Amino acid sequence: MSLTGKKLLIIGLLVIVLFVPPLVIEMGTATMNLLVLLFIFIILSQSWNLIGGYTGQINLGLAAFFGCGLLVTHFVWKAEIPIYFAVIAGGLAAVVLAVIIGLPTLRLKGAYFAIGTFALAEVCRIVVGNMFARMVKMPGSYAIDYSIIPRYYLGLIVAIITVALVYCVTHSKMGLALVAIRDDEQAAQVTGVNTFKYKVYALLTSSFLAGLAGGVYAFLRLSFHNITAVFSPIWTFEPLMAVVIGGAGTLIGPIIGSVFLVVLSEIFALTLGEAHLIIFGLLFILVVMYSPYGIIGSVGRIRQMMSRVGRGTLKARQKL
Amino acid sequence: METVLQTIANGILVGALYGLVALGLGLLMGVMKFLNIAHGTFIILGGYVSFWLFNLWGIDPFLSIPVVVIVMFLIGLVLYKLAFSPLLRLPTIGMRIDTSMLVTFGLIWVLDNAMTMLWTPDTRTIITTYTGETLKVFGTRFSITGLGGLGVAVLVALALYFILSRTYFGKHIRAATQDAEAASLCGINVNRVYSFSSGIAIALAGVAGVVIVSTYSINASGGLSWLLIAFVVMILAGEGNINAIIPAGVVFGLLEAGSVLVVGVPYRQAIALLVFIVVLIFKPQGLFAKKD
Repeated sequence: MSLTGKKLLIIGLLVIVLFVPPLVIEMGTATMNLLVLLFIFIILSQSWNLIGGYTGQINLGLAAFFGCGLLVTHFVWKAEIPIYFAVIAGGLAAVVLAVIIGLPTLRLKGAYFAIGTFALAEVCRIVVGNMFARMVKMPGSYAIDYSIIPRYYLGLIVAIITVALVYCVTHSKMGLALVAIRDDEQAAQVTGVNTFKYKVYALLTSSFLAGLAGGVYAFLRLSFHNITAVFSPIWTFEPLMAVVIGGAGTLIGPIIGSVFLVVLSEIFALTLGEAHLIIFGLLFILVVMYSPYGIIGSVGRIRQMMSRVGRGTLKARQKL
Repeated sequence: METVLQTIANGILVGALYGLVALGLGLLMGVMKFLNIAHGTFIILGGYVSFWLFNLWGIDPFLSIPVVVIVMFLIGLVLYKLAFSPLLRLPTIGMRIDTSMLVTFGLIWVLDNAMTMLWTPDTRTIITTYTGETLKVFGTRFSITGLGGLGVAVLVALALYFILSRTYFGKHIRAATQDAEAASLCGINVNRVYSFSSGIAIALAGVAGVVIVSTYSINASGGLSWLLIAFVVMILAGEGNINAIIPAGVVFGLLEAGSVLVVGVPYRQAIALLVFIVVLIFKPQGLFAKKD
């Protein structure tokens, strides 16, 4: 629960490193864009991590919450309300959506929950696709004073809030309940955990975060040529991949996974083209099959092995 | 009256295809408790095999089914060997379902992009001499390819039914479904049963792909929408209730066709999915579940 001084120092340094550079040096729009996208991925993957990694409910409908937050933010912002409020409105809209579609689906267990949320996200995609047949875009005045810097800070702030929120949730009584539900729902229920209540809380928090991510994306991109694209399952699957590759059910895992996915895909997309997605898919399968705790888990295991090897040589030396 | 009849006819034709789409998924889930999210992608793969057989050698899609079945069966065996058999050592059924879901999800990524790279993202369809021809019965039109699909679906479902209920191998499958450990103690090679049934399941996906490429069209990333349909039909039929899958598909097809009459074409899929979710919540054991 308590943060040691060393940890606090590292976090403080990180925050400074992230906050200051854009003010001091010109990094170029491409890099900044990539960083904002990275923040969005971190928010989304933390959101999925909360419901999928900690609570063990595989939610395949994240895209619906993301898209809902995006649409609401877009239109609230269009009504000339400051973007910060618009983003919060987007998050709250995603919560409302979660109440409507999440409460019924949470009664489903295991794979049925996954299928139910997947189907509901598709329903949202179809309905939204029919409602907004034309391009959704901001009026020209918004494009004139477009600058990437405020996008960067909004993304950064929301990402920090997200990580802090997930940290607080998982280090509270609720976090214990969530992990108990993941490990054995029946046992948790028997020991007096109101599993349904906590699952609802987890879903609502998770969808709020996904809605915020949608808001940041709405701020980043002013026009959406094809609005169904933001509801497409890709927005569920890529965060899921980031979480699993990084390490589900840990705080750092999804961040590492997002960095890994966004940065490597940027590098590989230039050199390998489509093939980089195949590599990611294979990597994902290998991680799921052989290292269920992701990169984080493997680091821990390697460290363990190293220390064992170290002790082994020590013993060998003593024998000599 | 005519529109209603036509709607029902369309519903049955498309529903039979929906049932066919779900058969492989239902078999894997029923026998081994593997949830194969990549099912839709294998359907597309089967469609591509048929498409290239037609394009390169002019083999009629319905005649290409045996070839597709063999190819996809082999792919199924490989899939079992590489991806599914390592999951059998997981301690609980729930973990097996979840992990197989994640593994096959990675497989979607690999296969989708491999197919896009190999065969471009273009939408493909097979146009034979009889595509678009219809058969008129009592003022109701049936498309020839749709009828062909219906025939294939019924034949395949019957064949599966006979394999499962009348052959010795089917008996093995059913035994392994009920209790894998006890079955292996009785001298059944559970590993072989599993690998063969996963071959059959993938072959079934391939057959569905053939029907789809000849009646509709396929593209490299179109697997997900078919996966969703397969999911829906499997759950409507009830988990592990393979014989009810074709009827459940017809129910879903009629539902979808019927909602066209009520709310119009754009929302037909949405309505059908909403009905599905209602069923999932209130009757999660499926519409055709046997009463104990």
